[in-house]
This record gives sequence, structure tokens and C-alpha cells, in this order.
Amino acid sequence: MQWTRKDLSLYIKEKEYIDTLIIPLIPFNPASDSNVTKEAFQRELNQLFTHLLEKEYRGRIIVSPEYDYITGSNETEVRRINQWVESFQSQPLSHVFLFTFDPKWKKWEQELKGQLLWIPSMNERDLHSSETKSFVKEQVSQISELITAYW
Amino acid sequence: MSDKQRVSRRQFLNYTLTGVGGFMAAGMLAPMVRFAIDPVLKPSAAGDFQSVASVDEITNEPQRFEWIVEQVDGWYESEVQKTAWVYRTEDDEIVALSPICTHLGCTVDWASQEEYPDQFYCPCHAGRYTKDGVNVPGTPPTAPLPLFDHKVEEGMLYLGQAQDR
Ligand code: FES
Repeated sequence: MQWTRKDLSLYIKEKEYIDTLIIPLIPFNPASDSNVTKEAFQRELNQLFTHLLEKEYRGRIIVSPEYDYITGSNETEVRRINQWVESFQSQPLSHVFLFTFDPKWKKWEQELKGQLLWIPSMNERDLHSSETKSFVKEQVSQISELITAYW
Repeated sequence: MSDKQRVSRRQFLNYTLTGVGGFMAAGMLAPMVRFAIDPVLKPSAAGDFQSVASVDEITNEPQRFEWIVEQVDGWYESEVQKTAWVYRTEDDEIVALSPICTHLGCTVDWASQEEYPDQFYCPCHAGRYTKDGVNVPGTPPTAPLPLFDHKVEEGMLYLGQAQDR
């Protein structure tokens, strides 16, 4: 389910069936001309992945509003992310995944209250080319396997 | 000292703001009314058929086919990917089923569970459907999978809207 009025009103009624949350973690640094496009691309890619996962498993997975932060501030963000996770856990969501392309989270994995799902990003390219599509599909199916393994 | 003046200034502001507000409301309402009555903005895909596969690709085993439709959904116009499970029955009828689980909307898979090699299976809450798309009692779904309207022209399978059953 998406974080929309329509989906959430269904969620409230069917809570017992929806136990999985994905929080997209998205870094950006508006001050860096050399990185903005790369980071924007990763953001689009992240949205595409969560969209595809949501489409396939919308009866059991809910996608949270995206968690944005300034690139490189991972250490100081740990606390705030954990606050997010805790407030989501006031609902019966037993599997919380943090989905990101930012490798810096690996270092803080132990401190995070959610399950880190990090995958390496790809180079900037056209998201609509058929080659990218098949690549993305392949990766999404691997992530779904990982997520469903927790069920 | 200037109580009178203050009141009148406030009144003045009130009047002007009401005026501006009124204009703004009208400005917002006008396009909304247009949205409500403009036929172009209604879901347009109704009755449109899209070519999905060549009929010789269709076997007795359900296969997943994908195609793209333009969808106008209120504010957004977008390309949406549609999917169907398509197969041919023993009587040579083509069946095209929506893969959307009627329980809470996950995507169902054909024969993905070893114990149920001839059923559709929903990974979310183990919902099941027989090959004709009818939900197996005792599993969460309470309705059969919708069937796509279909037609065959010049060796191609065309699919239209999915119909609830
Ligand atoms: S969404 Fe398919 S069984 Fe619940």
C-alpha cells in the first residue's frame, strides 16, 4: 500500500494482514553540483523499486513516506530513523525494512532498528530503456525473495 | 486612544480579505467544475482493446503477458503496465485472468507452490484459485479473479477491461 488516504483507510480496516513496512532512505546534497544528478537518479531508482515491490505485494506491504537526509549525515540520522521505526511499530508492523542505495548505512547497520536492505546503485542512465527495465526487474525479484523470506 | 480607528481598520481588512478569498475560491472552483464535466478527463481506457500476444504463443499452461496502457487517473496521465494470466482451455477457449488477488490486491502466481501445482497462489496470505480463477474456499480471497474482455483478430489476442465476477 502507498501512503495515501485511500490505501491507509483500507490499511486501518485490514491491519491484521499488513505486517511489512518499507522506508526508503534517500540522501541528497543540493550544494554539490557534481552529485546532484547522481543522487536524483538514485532517488528515482529508489521510487521505482518501491513502486514495483508495492505493486506486487500491496496487500501485505506498506511503503512509508520517504526519509530524506543530507548526504553524509548518516551517523547523526540514526537516532531520527529509529524514532520513525519506533512510531511505525506502534502499529502491528513486525517487519520494517530500510531500503537504500547509500552504502554508508552499512557502517551503522547494527544501530538501526529496522532491517537494512542495501543494494548497490547503477550508473545514471535512462530508466525507461528496455535493458534497464530487465535489470531492474531482476533486482526487484531478488529483493522480493529476501523480503518474503522473513514472512 | 485610537480604538475607533483600529476597529475600522480591522473591518477594512475583513472586507478586502473576504473579497480576495471570494476571488480565490472562484478561481479554484472553476477548473474543478471543468474536471467534473470534461469528458476527456474521464477514465478513457474503457472499451479499448490492446494487442497483447500472438495466439500461437498461448498454451494450455497459463503464461504471464504484459502490456502498457495510457491511463488518465484524475490529475495524472500515466503509462501503466498491465498483466494477465492467459491460457487455452481443453475446449480451445482463451481465458485471460487478472493477476490481482481479490483479497487485498497482491499479484498472484501460477503453480508457484509445490503443493498446489495446478492453482494460482497469492504470496501475501496464501490465497489460492483454481485454474479457472475461482477462489478456493477457506483461503482469504472471497471472489474469483476478474476476467479480461478479449478478442482475437488476425492471429493476435487483444485484451480490454478486466471484469469482476
Ligand atoms: S492479498 Fe492475496 S491472499 Fe491476501
